[in-house]
Amino acid sequence: MVFILGVNFPERNLVQKSLQSFFGIGGVSSSRLLARFHIHPTCKVGELANKQVLDLTAALSDMKIENDLRRQYLDDIKRLKETGTYRGRRHALGLPVRGQRTRTQIKTAVKLNRMERRL
Amino acid sequence: MVSSFCWSCLTRLRSTPRAVLPPAVTAPRTALFHTSTARYAMPTKKSKSMEGPAKYRQAKSAKMKKKKPVDKVRPPPVGERKALRKRIVLSNPNALEVEGMQDISAETMVDARLRGSVLGLPVPMLTQLRAVEAFKPTQGWSIFRRPGTVVRRETLELGRLIDGISGDGQDKGKAVKKIVTGVRGSGKTVHLLQAMSMAFTKQWVVVTVPEPQDLVTAHTAYAPLSDETPHLYVQNHATAALLSRTVNANAQVLKDLKVSQEHPALKSAVKAGMTLEELARLGIQDPAIAWAVFQALWAELSATSAAPGFEKSFKPRPPMLVTVDGLSHWMKNSEYRTAEFEPIHSHDLVLVQHFLSLLKPGVGKSALPNGGLLLYSTSASNNPTIYSFEVALKQVTARNTGLSPSAAEFPQPDQYRGPDKRVLDVFDSPKPTNPKEGMLELQTLGGLTRDESRGFMEYFARSGLLREQINDEWVGEKWSLAGGGVIGELEKLGRRLRTIN
Amino acid sequence: MAWQNPNCIVHAMQSIRRTAQLRTFLQTPNVSPLRTNPTSILSQQRKHVRGYATETLTEVPAAPELTLEDFQKMPARVVPVSPAYFSGSPKFIDHLLKLENILAKWAALPTVPSTEAPRMAWFKLTQFRDFVGESVPTKKYKNLVKILQRLNRIDPKLMPGEVRKTLTQFLRPGNPYANKPTPATVDEMGRSRGKGKRKTSSAVVHLVEGEGEVMVNGKTLIEAFPRLHDRESATWPLRCTSRLDKYNVWASVRGGGVTGQAEATTLALARALLVHEPGLKPVLRKAGVITVDARRVERKKPGHVKARKMPTWVKR
Repeated sequence: MVFILGVNFPERNLVQKSLQSFFGIGGVSSSRLLARFHIHPTCKVGELANKQVLDLTAALSDMKIENDLRRQYLDDIKRLKETGTYRGRRHALGLPVRGQRTRTQIKTAVKLNRMERRL
Repeated sequence: MVSSFCWSCLTRLRSTPRAVLPPAVTAPRTALFHTSTARYAMPTKKSKSMEGPAKYRQAKSAKMKKKKPVDKVRPPPVGERKALRKRIVLSNPNALEVEGMQDISAETMVDARLRGSVLGLPVPMLTQLRAVEAFKPTQGWSIFRRPGTVVRRETLELGRLIDGISGDGQDKGKAVKKIVTGVRGSGKTVHLLQAMSMAFTKQWVVVTVPEPQDLVTAHTAYAPLSDETPHLYVQNHATAALLSRTVNANAQVLKDLKVSQEHPALKSAVKAGMTLEELARLGIQDPAIAWAVFQALWAELSATSAAPGFEKSFKPRPPMLVTVDGLSHWMKNSEYRTAEFEPIHSHDLVLVQHFLSLLKPGVGKSALPNGGLLLYSTSASNNPTIYSFEVALKQVTARNTGLSPSAAEFPQPDQYRGPDKRVLDVFDSPKPTNPKEGMLELQTLGGLTRDESRGFMEYFARSGLLREQINDEWVGEKWSLAGGGVIGELEKLGRRLRTIN
Repeated sequence: MAWQNPNCIVHAMQSIRRTAQLRTFLQTPNVSPLRTNPTSILSQQRKHVRGYATETLTEVPAAPELTLEDFQKMPARVVPVSPAYFSGSPKFIDHLLKLENILAKWAALPTVPSTEAPRMAWFKLTQFRDFVGESVPTKKYKNLVKILQRLNRIDPKLMPGEVRKTLTQFLRPGNPYANKPTPATVDEMGRSRGKGKRKTSSAVVHLVEGEGEVMVNGKTLIEAFPRLHDRESATWPLRCTSRLDKYNVWASVRGGGVTGQAEATTLALARALLVHEPGLKPVLRKAGVITVDARRVERKKPGHVKARKMPTWVKR
C-alpha cells in the first residue's frame, strides 16, 4: 500500500489509473504528470521509488484538485446565478446550459444541474 | 373497369366516396429516393418474459429472475499467462530420433560437406542459448526430438568467418559488421541463433538484444542519465536484464577474466581482482547502477591491455558477438516522454545508442578491439515501416559497392517524405581506417537452394513428420511452392503434410 | 315537354336540315370540304343522276357452248405441285423428304467419325425460317440438321455430287469457320503468353523454360499468395504435369480478390503451357485447368434484397 496525497493505493494498480482517481485529473494531466517525473506509463504503484511518490504528492498538492476544485465549480455556478445570467438560470432550473435541445436527452442535465451541483 | 361516365346521358357520375375505396397502400418505410430495397417485415421484437398472454396455469409475476451467482475464479497469478505464451519447448519425445545427426562444433561449422544437412545444437549449450533468448516461441522447435538447424551457404560463410576471427590466421581479431535482411520466414533469427551457437563453441562473449521493441515501448523504467546530459535517458531495469542475460550465458568465460581497470563510476563497489562475472552481478543486484556496471563491463571486454597496476591478472579478452533482432523498432520515436511531454527519440536511450554506435567505425581503435561480429537483423513481421531506414539500408549497399556519397547514383532520401536525419546518420559510416575493422555490410537472406531444401525435407522425413518419398521432383515442387525455398514456408509445408497421409 | 316550346321546334328543324347537308357532303369525298356550299353539292347530285338515266348500252355476247370433253380432261379439283401443300409448312417438308430420300439412297456409303467430317455452318433456325419462308418448329429443324450431319459424315472421298450439291443449299452465306485464330507460338525470346480470367480477375502469364521460379506481379509467390491453397492452385498446371521445375513463370494479375487472381493465373498458365507443349492438352483437360469457369457474380436487381432474394413478405 502506497500513500499518494493521503490516499492509499494497492501496489498492483497502475500509477496512471491511480492518479486518475483524483477529482480533476484525467488522462492528459496524468500522462503529463508521469512524464514530468519520468515514470513510464505501465508503471505499477508498487514500483515507484520513494522519491517519485514524494514528487507526485508534492505536484498533486500544488494542483487544484479534489475539494478545492469542487468548491470552485460551485462558486462559478453561484456567480453565474447571482449575476442573473441565462446560464445561471439554466443551472438552477436543472436544464442543459449550453444550448442543447431539451425535447429529449436531458437526463444528465436533470440529474446534475442544480445550484449545488452534484460533482 | 367501370368508367365514371354514364354513357346514356354523358354526365359524370359522382365520384365514389373516399371511404368506400380500399385504403391506399401503406407508405413505404423507407424514403422514396432511396435505392436500396425496403425490408418490409418488422424487426422481430425481443421476447420479454412479462409480455404476451399468460400461459395456462402459469404464475405471472413481476418478480425478477435472480441471476445465478457467477463463480469467481481467481485470475492466474501475475506473469503465469505470459510465461505460458513465451514458453519454449525444444523437444518432442514423440518425434523420431534422427540417426547420425551431428552437432555444431568447431569442426562441423566449417565443413562444406555438411551443406544441406541439419546440425543439432549441443545439449549443454541449450541453457546458454535459452539465457540469451535465442529461441522464439513461434519457431517450430517443438516438433522435433531435439533442436537442429540446417546448414546453408550463409551458415558456412558465417562458420568460416567466426573460425577465422578466433583462429590465428590473418582474420584474427577482425571486427565484422553485418545487417541481416530478408523476406519473411527467410531464417534471419535462426541465422543469429547459428551465430550464437558458433560463438559459444568458440568461447566468445555473446551479448544479445532479442526483443529491441521492449526497449522503446515504454514498458520498463527510465530516467535521465545525468544532469550534464539532460536529453539522454537510461533504462536501468532493461540494462540489468541485459547484464543478467549476458552473465547467465557467458558465465564460464566471464569467470576467468579479471577486472583490469579503474572504474571511477563504481569506485567503492569494484575491487581489484574481481572477476567480470562478479562485476556484472553488481548491476543485476542493484539496477540503479546497472548502466555504470554495463559500461564498466564493456570497457573491460573491449580492453586490449591492462591499465598500470593490473597487469598480472590480465588475460586477453575473447571476441564478442553482438546481435540485435528487429532493428527497425529503434529507428523511430520511442513511447517514452520527456519531462516536457515531448516524445523521446529511440536514439536518445543510452542502451540503444550504445548498440547503434557500434555500427560506426571506432575512434582510434576498432569498435570491437578484440575482434568479433556484429549481427543486426531486421524483422519482417510486427515491423514498423520506416522510410529513412529503408533508404539507409540502400545507402549501406551503395557504399559497399564503392559508390561515394557524393555520386549521382547514390540513393538519396526524398525530402518530401520527411526522412529522419538521425537514422540516416547512424548508418552513415565511412570506410574504417583500422584494417582490422570491416565495413558495415548488408546481407540479404533468400531461399535455400534445391539441395539444401532436400536436406531440410529429409530431416522432416527422418523425424517421422513426412511420409513421402523425398525425391528431386517432389522437393522441386515444394521449393517452388515455398517461393524459391524460403525456409519458413518449407517448414510449414513439411509440417502440414504430416496430417495428409 | 321541350316540344311544347315553339323555339324548340325551330331548332329541331334546323338541325335536321344541317344533317341532310352533311350527309351529302360525306357522300362526295372528292370535293374539298373547304370549298363546299349547299348549291354546288346539289348541282353535282343532279349531274350524277343524269348519268344513270342513259339507255344506250351495247349488247352482251352469249357464252360459248359447253364442251363436255374438256370436263373429262381436267380433274375434279386442282392438285397442288407438292403433296405437302396442305401441311402448313410445305417447303420444309419437301426439303425434309428430299434429304430423307437422299439419305436412304446413299445410306450404304462408308462414313467417317463426326470429328473428322468437314465442319459445316448450317443455317441457324431463324435463317432457315427466312430461307423457306415458313415458321419451322425448333425441334423439327433439329431433326433436319441431324440428317444433314449424317449426310455430311459420308466419307468425303466417296461423297456423290448430288449429296454435296444438296448440302451446300443449307449452308449459311459466308464461312464462319474459315477465319481461324492464328495458333499461338513461342516468341523469339522463348516466351509463350497465355491469358486467363476468373471471377473479376484477369491474368497474363509469360512462360519461359527455366528452373521453377514463379513471380506474380513482380513479387515472389509467397508474397503474392500468402495462403498455401492459392499458391497450389496458381501453379497447378505445372504441378499436375510435373513440370514445376522446368519453367519460369512471370504472371501479372489484375482485379478481383486473392482466390480469383490465383485461379485466373491457373488458366493463363495452362494456356501458356499449351503453347510450349500442345500434347499436354488431354492431361490439362483432365486436371480441369483449361476449363473456363464463366461464372460471375449475378447482379443485384431493384426490388430484390440481393440478386434473387426478395424482401420478407408481410401481410400489411
